[in-house]
Amino acid sequence: MKLRKALLFWYSLLGLIVLLTVFSTILAPYSPNDMNMDEIYSAPSSDHWLGTDHLGRDVFSRLLEGGKVTLVVASGSVILSLFIGVVYGGISGYFGGVIDTVMMRLLEALITIPALIIILVFQVIIQGGMWSMALLIGLTGWLVTARIVRSEFIRLKEEEFVKMANMLGTPVWNILWSHLLRNSIPAIFVVTLFNFAAAIFMEVSLSFLGIGIPPAIPSWGNMLYYAQNDILIGAWWIGLFPGIMIFLTILAINFIGEAWKNPERRRVND
Amino acid sequence: MIGKWIGKRMVMGLIVLFIVSFLSFFIMQVAPGDPAIAFYGGNAQTLTAAEIERITRAYALDRPVAEQYVAWLGETVKGNLGISYKEGRPVFEIIMERLPNTVLLFSVTMFCIVIGSLWLGTVAGMRANSIWDRGLSTISIATSSIPPFWLGILFIYVFAVSLGILPSSGSGDVGGNGGMVDKIRHLIMPASVMIVTHVGIYARFLQESIKRENGQYYVKVARANGVLERSIRNGIVRNASIPYLNYIAMTIPSFFGGSIIVESLFAWSGIGQLTVKAVVTKDFPLLMGSIMVTGVLVVITLFIVDLIMYAIDPKLRKGGIR
Repeated sequence: MKLRKALLFWYSLLGLIVLLTVFSTILAPYSPNDMNMDEIYSAPSSDHWLGTDHLGRDVFSRLLEGGKVTLVVASGSVILSLFIGVVYGGISGYFGGVIDTVMMRLLEALITIPALIIILVFQVIIQGGMWSMALLIGLTGWLVTARIVRSEFIRLKEEEFVKMANMLGTPVWNILWSHLLRNSIPAIFVVTLFNFAAAIFMEVSLSFLGIGIPPAIPSWGNMLYYAQNDILIGAWWIGLFPGIMIFLTILAINFIGEAWKNPERRRVND
Repeated sequence: MIGKWIGKRMVMGLIVLFIVSFLSFFIMQVAPGDPAIAFYGGNAQTLTAAEIERITRAYALDRPVAEQYVAWLGETVKGNLGISYKEGRPVFEIIMERLPNTVLLFSVTMFCIVIGSLWLGTVAGMRANSIWDRGLSTISIATSSIPPFWLGILFIYVFAVSLGILPSSGSGDVGGNGGMVDKIRHLIMPASVMIVTHVGIYARFLQESIKRENGQYYVKVARANGVLERSIRNGIVRNASIPYLNYIAMTIPSFFGGSIIVESLFAWSGIGQLTVKAVVTKDFPLLMGSIMVTGVLVVITLFIVDLIMYAIDPKLRKGGIR
């Protein structure tokens, strides 16, 4: 009972964050890029709830708008990595044999290379905007998904109902789709949740380094990029709040993911 | 047996390095301008026609791409990583200056994380449902959700700006005025940021693994026969540490990724900061070199973890492959 209450809390928190960012244009008291040189570095007050930054922009408005950017990039990349992971893991797991061995060796090698390094390499070449960022994070984030899908497929392939379907001459695509994939959904869901948290981490890290989202677009990571210098002159509010938002979002996702990992915790009737 | 096993791990490491080298070579291919000139960066204008000719021949630049790759790889293996655009010095030299700092930061943080997580994980794992057990499960998720660089910013605000007791950036110099103490003072913040954000999740993994072992039949039998609790614990921890080591091996790449960011934040002059600097200034030879070195570092670290696992796990010694 206690666990379910806690889980409900994390669901509502995540929901609240998503709603706040989705309706950022309505909720934000100022335009996120409105500069006001008379009010630079003003501390949190009733005018500017969370203060202003080095160009006099309202931190609260930028926080909402930046959240939208961060979450959109993360969602885009997760959808892409989900797709690649399912296809790669599915092929490897379903066909098995030499194909599986080769594909898994390659995956093991790829997993060893820090994803950040790969993204840095491509970022230096394309230097694009939001969507190229999502593309890059997605292209490097599918490895764990592929691994999970493969092991699920291998497990399910040996189940009696799948063998039965094979014997009855069910078309291959039908077996793949309605037996193997559909039964892997809980496992895929959990890994996708964690992937989402990882994608947020990746975006904020890169933007924080100044090589992610272009500086003109606010994102949680970008805001922290400027906070590095602002903190030295004592403007703590610029760095504190985006970090808290990132922390709470990832925390909520992690707790929800942990709960889904243990099936007995997510059942409603016990 | 050990020969065959080591051989297998080494082949894996080589495959990884090949992929990293493709990545690095790819940068050279897409870098603007003539690769020969690009490779010699800022000095390119001073090159005479004869020198350009020599470089072109050394890197087989007038040949197909595959031959260029082989020629480039040959030069790289020899330690010729080209010349940095911005600094005009050989990349190899710059990297060698930076390498000790990265190795120092990595070994200090990894050592503390392993010791800390072994202790926390064992205490929490051996006392199921105690306050330690439940506390660690929750706190580890919380600490691993903190973005390390953000914690770093907060640390800088508290310890460097407000209290003024620790330097906010730099990596200190053993040869300088401060000596070793200065180095340690610079090390404290980056290291503790990495430790705080990582120790919990590693401890939690060990804790779960110990709890699983603790419920096994062999442990019950040992308890029923009155085997000393201390030796039971030692046995459990030993068995539980195999998946734990595996987990460390799996997360080492992302750990290196994380240290890139922490190094940049604290201006810790290691390979990670160098990589980011190379990206920002578009210093292609330097970027290629630092990527190769990071790849080598990861492969070596994983190899060491593998050797430890081999020493602990009797199944591997009997010829099993994980």
